[in-house]
Amino acid sequence: MAESGWPVAFSALQPFLDWALATEAERTQKRQTSEMVDIQAFYTAMLSHLEDILVYLNQFPLERMPPHAQQLMDMTLSLAEIAPAVELFGQPREDDTFDPFRFVPQHQ
Amino acid sequence: MKDRQPTGAGGHAAPDQSNDRWNDKYPHLGTAPIPIEPYISREYFALERERIFRKVWLNVGRIEHIPNPGDYIVVALPVCQTSVVVVRGKDGQLHAFHNMCSHRGNKIVWDQGGSCRNFTCKFHGWSYGLDGGLRFVPDEERFYDLKKDRLGLTPVAVDTWAGFIFIHLDPNPTETLRAYLAEVVPGLEGYPFSELSATRFCWRTEIKANWKIAQDAFQEGYHLPVRHKASAADAFTSGTNPHCHFLSLDLYERHRRTSSYGNLNYQPTPVAGMAYQFGSSVVVDRDIALDNLPAGVNPTRRSDWSIDTFWIFPNFSIFPSNGTYLTHHFWPITEDRTIWETHTYFPNAENAGQKFSQEYSKVLLRDILMEDGTTLEHIQDMLASGAKTHMPLQHQEICVRHAYRVVEDYVGFYAGR
Repeated sequence: MAESGWPVAFSALQPFLDWALATEAERTQKRQTSEMVDIQAFYTAMLSHLEDILVYLNQFPLERMPPHAQQLMDMTLSLAEIAPAVELFGQPREDDTFDPFRFVPQHQ
Repeated sequence: MKDRQPTGAGGHAAPDQSNDRWNDKYPHLGTAPIPIEPYISREYFALERERIFRKVWLNVGRIEHIPNPGDYIVVALPVCQTSVVVVRGKDGQLHAFHNMCSHRGNKIVWDQGGSCRNFTCKFHGWSYGLDGGLRFVPDEERFYDLKKDRLGLTPVAVDTWAGFIFIHLDPNPTETLRAYLAEVVPGLEGYPFSELSATRFCWRTEIKANWKIAQDAFQEGYHLPVRHKASAADAFTSGTNPHCHFLSLDLYERHRRTSSYGNLNYQPTPVAGMAYQFGSSVVVDRDIALDNLPAGVNPTRRSDWSIDTFWIFPNFSIFPSNGTYLTHHFWPITEDRTIWETHTYFPNAENAGQKFSQEYSKVLLRDILMEDGTTLEHIQDMLASGAKTHMPLQHQEICVRHAYRVVEDYVGFYAGR
């Protein structure tokens, strides 16, 4: 559910709140277990607002974002996560590549 | 984005084809196929262990990881059959020890890092200062003539260069770190490592491949248009440089460096373009202020440049680019198992746009590395089959040839055969 304060300009993104994930491991899990049609829908919705989102988020200090802004921030990070799947590979994971769950992030 | 013509190196649009026959520059390396045995032989690996990894300086991290007194990291070194603790002492100096209690050998530290006031063994409670000295022994009077001043943690040499922490298992190495790195220091002097190390991302994996198989995969661009066709070929090759020829390279006694090409006509994808607009990116940056880089990075001063690589013997590499750098460590476990660790570093992200940009850069890097990961294990499987004994190498793979030569010079496996 969207936190209060969610900007009206980005209301079209509320159906994609399940992409508001805080860690790379969670975002990778979501990408690798989602259907391409869902990834594509998220990509299309986010890309059309991306520049406005980043300009909007830039007004908040990174470490003290209000909850709704943090959700938007995490959604942009999920967009970064799935961008190669859409723009380069046309699938969540390329054929015959290393198991992404074996390449373990030591960061958040 | 600005449209810019390639400059430097005589103003040619393409890499200077006259000087990329690198074997001509280093005829002593020869042109013969190199043997496969060093990648699969248990005997060869045992010699690498004894004659390389126990005998040279090894990078284990950066000073930003342990900024304050009491901060420590634990470095697993299966190749040297030990675990090492590096800690910042009360005096601000770094100390390093084998992670082993002087009493009955228990590991003193069980986690991978943290901060503490002293090290206390979880077996019988022996306690050591940050300088490694033995401070306290429970029920001490029941021991026989205990020489506490001789029972400190066993030291390991530690030193830093440009913020990189190196250890040497010999507590009194005959060669200083500065002398060991002398060949590469001029190339990297002045690179803003400290400023660019504020944000660190790291991935770790264990692969079923020899450490040299893994390292070799990152020492040439020849595979890039094929293996990285979907992810990176557009940015790092072009019609004028279809095989990702190096812009320049230098082979030293133990280390080496290269400069890689970047396609000035690369058109970024929508998200890549946005990442570029809001911050740094590993893809080609057309607004490179070449004069901001130290002279040793991209030494030919070409604008169609993407990234340099400095290979620091035996298992560490630094890839400086514009506004970001990355490193690889390949830590051998056995002749066919390796811990592969990649770090990518950025300046402190000051806003959401920069954070997004860094996220895209690291995700793209990770996905490119995933393409490499599979080949490493396939190669190891088949080299081990024994079906072939040698592999042919071309000019652009001279770093693989050089790496083989340097290792063999230390190991001497073929010297008496």
